[in-house]
Amino acid sequence: MKQINKARLTVYILFAALIAGCASSPVVVNKEASTSAIRAAEEVGASKIPSAALYLQLAKEELENAKVLAEKSNKEESESMLSRAQVDGELAVALSHGDADKKEAVQALERVDKLRQDNKLLKKGSDQ
Amino acid sequence: MKPIKYLIIVVFVGLLVGCGANIPPAELINARQAYQHASSGQAAQLVPAELHKAQEALAIAEKSFQDEPNSFRTRDLSYIADRKSKMAEALATTVAENATTAKANKEFQSTQTEILKNTKADLASSEKSDLVKSEQLATEQKARLDADNRAAKAQSDLANLAAVKEEERGLVITLSGSVLFASNKSDLLPSAQDRLNHVADALLTTKERKLTVEGHTDSQGTVGYNQDLSQRRADAVRSYLISRGYSGDLIFAQGIGENRPIADNRSAEGRANNRRVEIIVGHLAN
Repeated sequence: MKQINKARLTVYILFAALIAGCASSPVVVNKEASTSAIRAAEEVGASKIPSAALYLQLAKEELENAKVLAEKSNKEESESMLSRAQVDGELAVALSHGDADKKEAVQALERVDKLRQDNKLLKKGSDQ
Repeated sequence: MKPIKYLIIVVFVGLLVGCGANIPPAELINARQAYQHASSGQAAQLVPAELHKAQEALAIAEKSFQDEPNSFRTRDLSYIADRKSKMAEALATTVAENATTAKANKEFQSTQTEILKNTKADLASSEKSDLVKSEQLATEQKARLDADNRAAKAQSDLANLAAVKEEERGLVITLSGSVLFASNKSDLLPSAQDRLNHVADALLTTKERKLTVEGHTDSQGTVGYNQDLSQRRADAVRSYLISRGYSGDLIFAQGIGENRPIADNRSAEGRANNRRVEIIVGHLAN
């Protein structure tokens, strides 16, 4: 009986170890979308634009969190975190573009003002 | 009483737990506020599709909140909904800025076109003014040339009728006294009138010039008589030229008498040359 109990105990221990081993083994998650968004944000210079830099930073942190969660086999949470990283990366891109467009608009308005002022001076000069 | 108290406590706790379960996570509160902000701004007009995506994302988050109020999924979906609203706002700003740029560029072009048009008009006006000036100049030059030609022709015509000489005081036309007047008379002879007509015609082509008619005599007779006779003869020629159309204001008559002989008074030929009338045509005043 004692031997049987020992055998059972061994089986239980092995089984428990197996379960524990399986539970902590890293899971594979698809990080493609989030890493692409982060890369795109970096390429448009989001890190140098204050309004976009914050979201780029958040996206990077969320990507790291997702990796940690994947390491801990929390696949669902990891994927959900990756969605956060992706949307933050995309927002950083949009804000970067908005900043560039705003600068362009300001420059265009300045060009018009300068042209009008130059013309005014020219006209004033020719009138004298 | 004890069971009733117990029941009240259980209900109260249950109520608290129930309310606690319905408290939305911060992410969802943020998402609701973000959508509210986006939908009340220019996103609704400029990027309705993006705003619709944000609305859908918020609806999914709300649904998740109903199903699993405290789950990470609800928090993450709310977070995504929040970002979708912010994205709609960012894209609306981009569209608005692009519209501003396009409008400014169009304005730049139209201003440039207007400036070009005005410059062309100014240039044309300036060219027209220059053209008018050059036409005026050409007209003046032509008038001057015509006057010079007329003067040259008049001089040429006069040369055929009388002695014509260019002196410092002007063009001097010398008419013989014996041709114009009878001896000791100051009335023009009929034959003289014909000759004077030709002289007058020639002078009329240059009638803007001042004329001086000088009467001269020989040395026979008294000085006073000769002075008076020469004045009357000069006056007679002046009157005749006025009658032919020359302005009286431009003709001055002067009797010189015997004071300025051009030949020797001792010979008959010399005296004949001294009896004369000189018409001095003044220089054209510039």
